[in-house]
Amino acid sequence: MKHRREVKRILIAAALLTLGFSAIAARAQSAGPLQRFDHPDQSLAKQSTAVEFLFPEQITVRAGKPSPVEMHFRVAPGLHINSHAPHDAYLIPTTLDVPASSGVRLLGATFPDGKDFTLPADPKTRLSVYTGEFTILTRIQAQRGNHLVQARLRYQACDDNQCMPPKNLTVAIDVIGR
Amino acid sequence: MFPVKRNTIVLFVILILLAVFGWAGWANWMYHRQQAERRAALAVKKSETAPYANTPASAADMGDIAGMPSPLVNKPAPAFTLQDVNGKKISLADYKGKALLLNFWATWCGPCKIETPWLVQLRDKYASQGFEVLGISSEGDGYTPADKTGWAQDRAAIQAFATQMKVSYPMLMGGDSISKPYGGVEDLPTSFFVNRDGTIVATQVGLTSESDIESNIRKALGEGK
Repeated sequence: MKHRREVKRILIAAALLTLGFSAIAARAQSAGPLQRFDHPDQSLAKQSTAVEFLFPEQITVRAGKPSPVEMHFRVAPGLHINSHAPHDAYLIPTTLDVPASSGVRLLGATFPDGKDFTLPADPKTRLSVYTGEFTILTRIQAQRGNHLVQARLRYQACDDNQCMPPKNLTVAIDVIGR
Repeated sequence: MFPVKRNTIVLFVILILLAVFGWAGWANWMYHRQQAERRAALAVKKSETAPYANTPASAADMGDIAGMPSPLVNKPAPAFTLQDVNGKKISLADYKGKALLLNFWATWCGPCKIETPWLVQLRDKYASQGFEVLGISSEGDGYTPADKTGWAQDRAAIQAFATQMKVSYPMLMGGDSISKPYGGVEDLPTSFFVNRDGTIVATQVGLTSESDIESNIRKALGEGK
C-alpha cells in the first residue's frame, strides 16, 4: 500500500509537471516572437542597413604621425557579408578606403579573419563572412587641423537564401590632427 | 522488489518527459529566434531597396517572402532588349509563343550559384516542350554605358560562370537597366515565370528548391495549376 501511494504521488507530480510545461509551451507559442525572442541588444532590431558604423565618431591624433584607429561595425542579424578575403574569387570582398582629398591618409587596414559559414542549401561550400560586430584596425596619418573624413566601406550582404547588391557605407569620422 | 522497479520506471518516464519538453522548448526558441532574425533582415532589405519602395513589385518582392502573391502575376511581362555575353541583342519578343523563366542573378550571388545547375537541368528537360530560360545578370554597381572596363569585367565574369556551370541558355547582361519595370529587383535570385501568351504566372524571390521551380515551369507551360 505504501509503495502504491508513493507511485501515485510520483504520477501526480509528473502530471502536474507535464501540465506546467504544456502551459509554458502554449504561452510561448501564442506570444509574438519579437516580443519574447528579441535579440539581447534591442538596437539590432532597429538597424536599417545591412552594416552599421558604430564608432569612433571623433578621434584626436598627432599630426603627421601614423596613428592606429579601430573602426567598429555591426552586421544586421540574419545577414552576413563577405570577409575581406572570401574563399571564392567571384565573391565581393569587404573593403575600406578613404578619399585622398580628406586631409587624412589611410596607411593600412587590418581586417579581421572571416568566420567560416555555410548556406543550408549548400553545406559543402565554406564561405568566409562577417556577422555581428567586427572591427577593422586602421593606420591613418592626418594633417594638422580638423578633418571630417568620409571613409567608404564597401560590402555585399546576403541571408541564407538571397543576396543584395553591393553597397557603399559612408563612415563619417571627425579627425583632429594636433 | 516490484514497487522499486515500478518507481524506477516512473522516474525514467518523468526524465524522458522532461527531456522531451526541454528539447521542444529549445527547438521552439531556435525557431522564433530565426524568425526574429529573418524579420530584422527583411526590414534591412526593405530599407536598402528604398529607391524602389513605391513601385508595386518591390512590395511584391517583400510580399513573396511573406507568402503574399506578387502584383506582377497575371500581368504581361514588361518588354526588354538586352545584349547577351556575345554582344547579340535579345528581346523578350523573340520568345513569343514560348514559356520562359526570366532569372535575375549575379556572379557574386551564392544562392544564384546553387540554383543554376537546377535551371540548366530543367531547361534541358523541358526545352522540347517550348521552354527557355533567360539568365539576366545584374552587376549591381550601376555601370554607365561608357564604363567599358566595368562591362568588360562583367562580361568576363559571366562567361567564366557560364562555362563553369555548363549553362546552356542565353545569358543576358545589364539586368539592372530593366530592374525597375520588373519591380525593382534587388534581392537575388529572383525569377519570373512567363507563359506562352507573355503573361507572368508566378514569381520566386530567393533560393527555393528545384521542385518549386519545376512546378512553376509546368505552370508556365500550362500543365500545372
